[in-house]
Amino acid sequence: MRTKKWAVERTRTIQGLVDFIKKFLKLMASEQLFIYVNQSFAPSPDQEVGTLYECFGSDGKLVLHYCKTQAWG
Amino acid sequence: MRDGAGRRPERREEEEEEEKEEKERRKRKRRRSARADLQFSLQVSCSMAGGEEFFLDEKRFKQCCEDFVKHSQQIGDGWEWRTSKDLGDGYLSKTHFQVRNRHIPPDLKEKNSDNTEQMLFAHIEEPLDDSQAAGVCSTEEVVRYEYHVLYSSSYQVPVLYFRACFLDGRPLTLDEVWGSVHASYQDRLQEGPWDTITQQEHPILGQPFFVLHPCRTNEFISAVLGGSQERHRHTNYIILWLSTVGPVVGLNLPLSYAKLAPEQSTDADLAE
Repeated sequence: MRTKKWAVERTRTIQGLVDFIKKFLKLMASEQLFIYVNQSFAPSPDQEVGTLYECFGSDGKLVLHYCKTQAWG
Repeated sequence: MRDGAGRRPERREEEEEEEKEEKERRKRKRRRSARADLQFSLQVSCSMAGGEEFFLDEKRFKQCCEDFVKHSQQIGDGWEWRTSKDLGDGYLSKTHFQVRNRHIPPDLKEKNSDNTEQMLFAHIEEPLDDSQAAGVCSTEEVVRYEYHVLYSSSYQVPVLYFRACFLDGRPLTLDEVWGSVHASYQDRLQEGPWDTITQQEHPILGQPFFVLHPCRTNEFISAVLGGSQERHRHTNYIILWLSTVGPVVGLNLPLSYAKLAPEQSTDADLAE
């Protein structure tokens, strides 16, 4: 389990986060990665992480889940 | 003339200036830290092998739609439930208008507008920079999107149908629809456009609609929920699914739908 930390500006979008994680996991551009809050909702790609943190964070933390499975086809 | 420390008056002024600047810099830095960056860490984990598959039965589909519409009404998001008289089936429906800018270079302005429409569609997403700003006439183009969510009993999942047309009634072609898919999904779309968005007959209305292919829906829902059906019995399947696939075709769900999740609910939230 790797727990390296990175700084991210509050204005970074979900799409920006997805691109970062895809690079980190060495996924191809055409592979899909989705991010979820509460394991029940995928914020839109242009949503800012700062807003998500304010709405859904608690105890100074916001937990997001990611999923690499193809979502259509 | 020099002062006690042996410095000339002008030098002292310079030093005072520098000190003032330094104080300003420190103040700005403190202000910046108040809105500091967030830190994030990434836990990489393997997906659970042999996880339970999540099937959506029609009863649960209707219940999720009902809750979904209720919330939509509360926030004015425009979704409604429609039933067809003869079939007794129902589906979710929403219409919205999207405005897009089209940039028409001056030399093409005089030409036949139909031709320019065909030629210029590719330019729709280009940003307007300074070199183009002078002498470019920009017209706004309004596209009417209609989204329907139907239940597929063969796949046992919801399916997203949609159609789009310009205000003059001209429907968008499949190429135009593909061209308007969100930039972040274009790579995937190039690889297999035919297994992503195709044109099919609407099962209830019998009219041609575009459809987002449902055969992988079950796979990704099961991967996200990755666990017992029991644990996620309160998750609204429609919200989970639509928030994931909607953005591909220009449909974004406001963040407030996420608040429907029971884990995050507190009395204070429910009272809003």
